[in-house]
Amino acid sequence: MNSNLFSNLGWMGAFLLEVGTFLLALRRGLFRRLPFFTLYLGLVVIDEITLWLVYRLSGVSSYISFESYWVMQALLILFRALAVYDICRVLLSAYAGVWKMCRPLLILLAAILVVGAAISTNDSAHHVASAILTSERGLELTVVGILIFGLIFCRYYHVEIDRYVTWIALGLGFYSAVQVVSNTLFQHSVTGHFAVWQDFRHVSFNVATVFWIVALWKQLPARQAAPVLLAPGEYERLAPQMTLRLRELNTRLLEMWK
Amino acid sequence: MTVFVAILVFLVILALLWLLFGSPTNETGSSLDALQIERLLPINCRHFPQITQMLKEEDRQFMRMRAPHHTERKWRAERRRILKQYLTGLAQDFARVQRLARLVSALSPEIRKGQELEWIWLGLQFHVSYRMVELKFALGRLSPDGLAELTGIIAGLADELEHRMSLITEYSPSHLRANMGN
Repeated sequence: MNSNLFSNLGWMGAFLLEVGTFLLALRRGLFRRLPFFTLYLGLVVIDEITLWLVYRLSGVSSYISFESYWVMQALLILFRALAVYDICRVLLSAYAGVWKMCRPLLILLAAILVVGAAISTNDSAHHVASAILTSERGLELTVVGILIFGLIFCRYYHVEIDRYVTWIALGLGFYSAVQVVSNTLFQHSVTGHFAVWQDFRHVSFNVATVFWIVALWKQLPARQAAPVLLAPGEYERLAPQMTLRLRELNTRLLEMWK
Repeated sequence: MTVFVAILVFLVILALLWLLFGSPTNETGSSLDALQIERLLPINCRHFPQITQMLKEEDRQFMRMRAPHHTERKWRAERRRILKQYLTGLAQDFARVQRLARLVSALSPEIRKGQELEWIWLGLQFHVSYRMVELKFALGRLSPDGLAELTGIIAGLADELEHRMSLITEYSPSHLRANMGN
């Protein structure tokens, strides 16, 4: 058997895995919980079919193939970012006060990371491949950044994370993190090591897909009722007392140490 | 640069795993039903007055003057052990108050960014100061009187919170269900 057959079989296996994940997501009714993530899974399947058609019609090394590939990648990153935002929304929006505070911070963080990505892309604009990889790395970093920031909020406020959300978040975070490494490794040598760079990408995506299958393997848990919130004035009544005591406690502790 | 990014990403993946699978923080969850006062209010401080009594300076002088050397040494070791437990209990109580504060924030429809940041800052300050006091304790230079003052503060806070929380939990779903069942 030649290597071409192996790579075709590999591609076919990965494609079936992606289609299977998308169908599983539809079957589990994930669209009602995480609409952007479900759309993302659908877009992954569309991406594979589109690129396969383009490659067949115009050749792998044509300009149309190059453009199609990167346009689809940009779309996929956009939807990954939206899926991560979706996860943060699902986890935190039931807690109105926390979500009101967290959402602008998430948006601000995303804006800062995107601007950072734009600046570093501009610095490497002399070389097209390098510029693309740098901008993609910045955007992937944005995806991981939003995810980690949202999860820190969940941990801080003891928000429970459903099992399926855990595995979906892990898949998204893992894939984006690996892309950051791979784009940095091959930033200046991607043209020479294109096949290795592609393998890195495919293997990490397949691993992420397995995480998503694990997430969707069992039925999704029943939706939890939104928590009953406290009366609006309770926070204002309790906060000053707690703050005062905590401050006092710290002062005394410091005095003891001195 | 590449090595730096690789290390950074490795740390990011570790952080992700910890945030997603780390020790469960949802022993009580974030719901009104979770406001079980006995599980969240400081508990150790309730026993602190008795312990403070045991650690009085007069006792130390009495033991030094009257007890045989080996008995005094044993007594001192036991005293240190109690003091250590006392300190640990203090930290546990602080953590419970913090947990309660976060729960109140999570369940409030409006929270203030400044207030939340201040609580984070106070928590950090407490942990640093606590470590320093622990160090002082390890060096044998900590007086029980200082600890007694801290106990008073936490106990005061516990009383206030207990009163407020008992009012709040009257409206919790489980409480309402129980009342409807009666």
